[in-house]
Amino acid sequence: MKNVIIGQYIPGSSFFYHIDPRTKIIAVVVLMVATFLLETIWQVLIGFGIALILIIAGRVPIRKIVKGLKPLYVLLLFTLVFQIAFNRVGTIVLDATMQISPFSILFMIAATIIWRLLASFKKFSLLLFFAYLVGLFFIMKNLAFSPLWTTWQLTIYDQGLIMSGFVIIRLLIIITLSTVLTLTTKPTELTQGLESLLRPLKAIGLNSEDFALIISISLRYIPTILDEANKIMNAQASRGADFAEGRLKDKVVQVISLLVPMFIIAFKRSEELADAMESRNFVPGKPRTRIHDLKFNYRDLITTVITVLCLAGSILVKVL
Amino acid sequence: MGIQFKEVSFQYPGWGKQFFEALKDISLTINDKDEFIALVGETGSGKSTLAQHMNALIFPTSGTVEINGVPITAKRNKKIKYNSIRQQIGLVFQFPEYQLFEETVEKDIMFGPKNFRVPEEEAREMAKKALNMVGLSDKYLTRNPFNLSGGEKKRVSIAGILAMNPKILILDEPTSGLDPAGKKLLMNLFKSIQKETGKTIIIITHDMDLVYEYTNRVLVLNEGMLEFDGTPDYLFHRHDIDKWHLDYPATISVLRSINDKFHYNLDIYQKTIDAAVSTIAKAVQS
Repeated sequence: MKNVIIGQYIPGSSFFYHIDPRTKIIAVVVLMVATFLLETIWQVLIGFGIALILIIAGRVPIRKIVKGLKPLYVLLLFTLVFQIAFNRVGTIVLDATMQISPFSILFMIAATIIWRLLASFKKFSLLLFFAYLVGLFFIMKNLAFSPLWTTWQLTIYDQGLIMSGFVIIRLLIIITLSTVLTLTTKPTELTQGLESLLRPLKAIGLNSEDFALIISISLRYIPTILDEANKIMNAQASRGADFAEGRLKDKVVQVISLLVPMFIIAFKRSEELADAMESRNFVPGKPRTRIHDLKFNYRDLITTVITVLCLAGSILVKVL
Repeated sequence: MGIQFKEVSFQYPGWGKQFFEALKDISLTINDKDEFIALVGETGSGKSTLAQHMNALIFPTSGTVEINGVPITAKRNKKIKYNSIRQQIGLVFQFPEYQLFEETVEKDIMFGPKNFRVPEEEAREMAKKALNMVGLSDKYLTRNPFNLSGGEKKRVSIAGILAMNPKILILDEPTSGLDPAGKKLLMNLFKSIQKETGKTIIIITHDMDLVYEYTNRVLVLNEGMLEFDGTPDYLFHRHDIDKWHLDYPATISVLRSINDKFHYNLDIYQKTIDAAVSTIAKAVQS
């Protein structure tokens, strides 16, 4: 669970940390729109370059961003495979006959075993995976021998490659942008910013203050509840409910043994919180003051200018 | 057999390269027979972390914990059945809310034995026995554990571990939040279990009176280091235990101040209130 980086603030003091959250939120949304306006791979590459420069300038740890991308590897890979396999536009880059025979299947199994063995060292895992894919390709193309069972045609078009690159880079930019926002903004600031931005919606009945309060309380209690879940898991594990070992039938009961105390503790906690808030004179819906008021400064101006420039740039390349 | 700690350190992960070192280079041996150990130290000194090492809930960052001959190191070993270790070493957590979940007390106590493949009927029998052991009558078997009082919940949660029949019983602050009568009842219960079965019992506590009266060995943790390992008598004969943020038992403090104020020369090392009272009575009479 420690890999989930969305919503994980890292303390720091660079430029991004001192921008008003409202500016940051709007800037990220505008930059995302600008990214979607881009149409060719060169344009998104330039966009990616700009995003990289901003990250380096803001001294955001790139390692953290890469870590945050981990859950999205599957999505990125799927995009790649889908685009390469089904895009039939442009000129043919590769046209090879793939052969499947008992031998090639044996070789493929061997390759898989080697790949898993090497992967257990946990270094260059992505590179290894590509090496594995290339290996599979090579086996199916050249190492089939007789008796052949079946063959299939692998055709890759250049537009397929370009499109997959385009889609992936576009996704990368968007994820990077939102990760930078959440890495450099405290969740409380983020909700405060959202509350401030959503205030006009009061006219149509949406109370942004309640909304912001709900979000900030939820965020505040995520680590607490994770911690609690861990303790419950330990307590049940010491009664033999091992969540790693054990049969499937037992696991159902074990999950219940985790969920019931979780719910009870969460309900109790929320009641206590409500009491604690009321005993400190919290009245729902009444206006409140804040310790930190949001203020606009020169950094917000710079951010706004850069954002507007980026948007103008992408509109320009779209129109021209 | 028993539990051996060999140069065990444990770090809780934190931001980036910072981490919190909860245990530092701990070596100690706990027999699985005839010990009544108190684990003391101020809040955050690593007591609970140490206890969780004893039934392999967490693994040491460095060093080895040997539990009944099975070595536990930083890496999870697929050959080791961690679950069977947890049957041998029963750990009762501080808050019963973390483990009660069934609709009846009986079912909840049976959860442990059933996880270790004890047949239904036998588990039922064990549950009843364990419940009686903690001083609750059979009519509690059908009650809903969530409708019990705090002390009763606590006793049910202890029964849940006792029913597993562990060789070593570890209790994390078993007496916190209990009234004095309940406290006494539980401590006497542990003492009788220990006497009858010869099981080793380890309690984590802040209550020095209990430590002095009941236990025969004390482990003092301070800032993750094992500072003292010996009998409570030896510990409370020292004059520097406040450097580990410990107090003296009430009997010792009271008798000591009587000695100081009235210039008596009483034997201040009395384990129970009764013994202290008779010491004072003797002094007053003579």
